[in-house]
Amino acid sequence: MSNNLPSESDHRLFELLARETADAGAERAPSPLKARLLTALIRKQQESGRLRTLAETRGAGHPLCIFEDLWERVAQAEAAQSFNCCSLCHARVLAQHLERPRIYWGHCPYVAFAKK
Amino acid sequence: MNQGQPEACQTEERSTAGEERSDRELVAEILSKDRKATAEFVARYADHVYAYVRRRLIPRADLVEDLVQEVFLAAWESLDKFRGDSSLRNWLLGIARHKVEDHYRKRLRELQPAEDEESLESEPVSPHNLEQALADRQAGELTREVLSILPETYSVVLLWRYWENRSLRDIAVQTGRTEKAIERLLARARQQFKKRWHEQQSSK
Repeated sequence: MSNNLPSESDHRLFELLARETADAGAERAPSPLKARLLTALIRKQQESGRLRTLAETRGAGHPLCIFEDLWERVAQAEAAQSFNCCSLCHARVLAQHLERPRIYWGHCPYVAFAKK
Repeated sequence: MNQGQPEACQTEERSTAGEERSDRELVAEILSKDRKATAEFVARYADHVYAYVRRRLIPRADLVEDLVQEVFLAAWESLDKFRGDSSLRNWLLGIARHKVEDHYRKRLRELQPAEDEESLESEPVSPHNLEQALADRQAGELTREVLSILPETYSVVLLWRYWENRSLRDIAVQTGRTEKAIERLLARARQQFKKRWHEQQSSK
């Protein structure tokens, strides 16, 4: 048998260590990472066509934030309704860079990442 | 340990809580490009994926966020193939596992172990010592510390073999090396690990 093969105690040692550290603690992803993930996913979704309109989103049971609500009232064209208005919003920018951004808009996903 | 999925996935977990959308409903909404559903997807699962990737990428904490992003983008690319046979969390962790193993494969191909460390004699670390450390709840912390200071080749091969529970043969095939070469690398990695473990434990 090769000298490199682990002894039984070595196996036990490393198996125990692996088990001990495999699920150690619930680590939260930093909220700026979540914000960047959302931005990246939405950008990816846009590459293959339009997003759901804000009206469709609301109709599916998702409340809109104040900015989306305003956008929905002001921008009438369908292309504008599908536009990712978060790309213009300061909340997204702050959330992508700060762990606890000072944004207090209700129903803003970027705010929710920091609160959770 | 299950070889097919990360051990974090072994407990089947369905998203069935009251007002929460089921996995299938959520997936359908994401595929229809609903931005709020996409946000819910991130909110629900980013912590799970992040925690898994972070533990498996010791000592390369600098790569964790990029890899988590790769996992989510890969998930979006193949989300239409999600059938709900497992929970969405397990499905995502399966993608994360593939990404982590891609990283291991790449690193083991790129890195060579330091020759001067090959013949080091290590202080013995007995299972009894370990059990004591486990009882004192120090083992997890100490293990992470040791993995983070080991040469990367060693931490990668140990994580791949023991934390991902991959066989020598699997690792050899994926890295284009012989089983013997992986065996030797693992032996050096274990030796180094035990030496550093002893040093870290003594310094506390």
